Amino acid sequence: MRITNNQIYENLMSGINKQLKIKNDSNASISSGTRFQRPAQAGSDYKTSLDLRHTQSQIQGSLESLTVAESRLSASQTLLNDMSNVLKRAQTLAVQQSSGQIGPQEHAAAVSEVTHLLDQVANSANQQWQGEFLFSGTAVNTQPFAVDALGVYQYQGSDQDRTVSVSTRQSINSNVRGDEAAFAQAFSSLTNFQTALVNNDQASIANAISELTTAGNSVIDLTSNVGGQIKAIQSYTQSYEDMKFSIDKRLNEHEAADIPALVAAMQQADTALQASYSQIANIKNLSLVNFLR
Amino acid sequence: MSFQALNVAASSLRAQQKAIDVVSHNISNVNTPGYSRQTPNIVTATPESIGGLDFGRGINLQSIGRSVDPLITDSQRENTSQFQFWNQVSTGLTTIENSFGSLDNTGLAASVDDFFLSWQQLSNNPQDTAQKYNVRNKSESLIIQLSGMQTQLADGQTKLDQSINLQLDNANLKIDEIAALTKQITAHEAGKQGQTSIANDLRDQRDQAVRDLAKIIPIQSVNTQDGGLLIQTKGGDLLTQDGVARHLTRNNVSSTGYQGIVIASTNQQVQGLEFGGTLGGTIKLRDEYYQGYMDTLDSFASNLAFATNQIQSNASSATRLSKVQSGQGATDPTLALNDVTQNTAFASQVQAGSFNIHVYNTAGDPLLPISKTAINIAASSTMNDVATALNAVVGISATVDSAGRLNIDPGTNTVAFADDTSNFLAAYEINSFFHGSTAGNITLSQTVLDDVTTLGTGYIDPATSLLQLGDSRAAINIMNLQDTALSVDGSTAASLHERISSLSSRYGLDVGLANQQKSYREAESISLTQQREAISGVNVDEELISMMKFQRAYEASAKIITTNNQMLDSLMGILR
Repeated sequence: MRITNNQIYENLMSGINKQLKIKNDSNASISSGTRFQRPAQAGSDYKTSLDLRHTQSQIQGSLESLTVAESRLSASQTLLNDMSNVLKRAQTLAVQQSSGQIGPQEHAAAVSEVTHLLDQVANSANQQWQGEFLFSGTAVNTQPFAVDALGVYQYQGSDQDRTVSVSTRQSINSNVRGDEAAFAQAFSSLTNFQTALVNNDQASIANAISELTTAGNSVIDLTSNVGGQIKAIQSYTQSYEDMKFSIDKRLNEHEAADIPALVAAMQQADTALQASYSQIANIKNLSLVNFLR
Repeated sequence: MSFQALNVAASSLRAQQKAIDVVSHNISNVNTPGYSRQTPNIVTATPESIGGLDFGRGINLQSIGRSVDPLITDSQRENTSQFQFWNQVSTGLTTIENSFGSLDNTGLAASVDDFFLSWQQLSNNPQDTAQKYNVRNKSESLIIQLSGMQTQLADGQTKLDQSINLQLDNANLKIDEIAALTKQITAHEAGKQGQTSIANDLRDQRDQAVRDLAKIIPIQSVNTQDGGLLIQTKGGDLLTQDGVARHLTRNNVSSTGYQGIVIASTNQQVQGLEFGGTLGGTIKLRDEYYQGYMDTLDSFASNLAFATNQIQSNASSATRLSKVQSGQGATDPTLALNDVTQNTAFASQVQAGSFNIHVYNTAGDPLLPISKTAINIAASSTMNDVATALNAVVGISATVDSAGRLNIDPGTNTVAFADDTSNFLAAYEINSFFHGSTAGNITLSQTVLDDVTTLGTGYIDPATSLLQLGDSRAAINIMNLQDTALSVDGSTAASLHERISSLSSRYGLDVGLANQQKSYREAESISLTQQREAISGVNVDEELISMMKFQRAYEASAKIITTNNQMLDSLMGILR
């Protein structure tokens, strides 16, 4: 095969361009820390990155939802605990007031404390959190409990639970509704106790002990249920945190540049470039023109 | 005898001198693109017979040969055309790379994720106005991304289309040049049948012009013996023959919506342009790649808009609607709502069913004695029918304006919509979230833009006409759209995330294919250039050696003349 000077120069130029491209690509990867940056560099891999980022975004949403649910339920649990404490104090008071040695004067004196305890329960049941009533279901702007004409606390909220969407396939309840039996029992047992004291009705005072105990147990059960829900949410949260870690790791493995390999490739390219440049200088001298006098 | 030797030597001097001219021509053209090395063809002169003996009469420069391999020339032309095609595709795709984002900012994909995340955040606190602003903000961001991409692609398409005119001008110049060169070659070589490649430099120039033309449009050529050349497109349309040029021009809007390319003299549509050259690459970019991406974006926007509106049009918030105007109008309010001639993108989605309209008094309480009315939509219902049915509802009035839009005026009352099984509300954008149906025209509905608190997050209770503020079911349903396979426009059902990630992937793979083909053609081009250089290229060393060879022959011939001259001097000396 005949070889011309142009062939030699073009071969060298082609090689130099290839090596420069390797250096350019390697520099871009090293400076960004990723194997690729744009879809044009790796179509399928870029899609995988987008899918992983989509999952990251969904996990972030899930964690936010779980946080909201946990906060809402924790606030509810605190208030239920308060109600439980109030009922315990009412039970103690009922036991004291049921004694045969306690007379009408002491009963009358106890009424004010029971009224105060009833207000405390009503206050807890109508508590707001972040501007929303906690126990009124989805009717967050409606006070859950109000006294009717007969002096009975009535539930006014909705029968619909507040849900948060953890993922596109899973929604969870994030509230305790005031139409749970524990609330009605708490109000009725305290109201009945208050009435019995006002009426100095010894038998009803004795009955109030069991009613308050039942109501207290119901509130405790409800609190336990909420505790169980919070535990479940914490478990979900842990699971999503693990998933988040796993996706972050997978994303890093998928996108991270192999720095040692890139450095080696750049080193090889440098060597090849130096050889090519040297060769171009040599070829210039290796012409018959230089030997003709 | 001496006189003959002088003639022989003189013929040699002439031939060697001309041979050195050829060498000089070769060296001067060592870097000329398309130049083919020339070789002096020196032959022995016809001998003279004297006294039964044949005496040589020296040499003649019979012709100047041109070193060229037609197969390589054809392969180069074809490969050049393909290289330019893929180079154009690769360049055109790279120019829109920014539209598709990067890992630092994934662009539309990130906007889609943010959009759905904002709905999820709103569903956590549906009564929170700040979250509604967040949804509006993220939605606007998504719309900006969508329309930005669409605009960039549409602008790119327009520029590509405009560049076709310039390419046709250049192609016509090349066709003219080839025709003119063919005329010159034919004239130059006239009467020299059987002796090819006489007009060496003109043929080189013509080969180069043909290669240049092949860079622009895919062609095929046939050489004829008399120096003529026939060139036609891959589809068989004649471009030049026997020195006659046929220009290309644009005319007649084709099915793609752009002007087609025709032969100027006959107005005949040119076929096969899409197979190679920059013009083929430009057409492929414009009609397949760019259009394909735009179609995907439009499909995404269409599915996003309709699916979101389907949910939102049935949803409600604490802020009820006062005056309501449909975002879309019926071209003919007396025609069925789902008639394909209605100028509404989703008209065909309207089906037999019904929706409820709830009316509230000034205090915001359900209107007594009846607050809820079902509006039935039959398959043949018209916009006028809907207006008539709404006019029968206590507390509101309805009209159809000149643009075919439905206007509901509740006066001091307010209204809410729910339970639409007919798709009428979503199709005609009543209480909708989005307005429009393509990536280019999608916006937020005027209602949402005017008052973000109207953004619906829950559903009206059909029994009480009441909405609970903590009801987040509608917001959750919209959030769930991200992984729901949708197909409102006849496209293959796919989730919205899948559509966008696949678009980026498809773009990446398209660039990959274009770059791979370009590299392949580039490598082949290098190989073919090497092969051509091996045959047609000028090797300076080789030429210098030839030069020395001819120079030495010239010197030897001159020496013969000197010797003969001395011999003649000797002879003259005897005579004196």
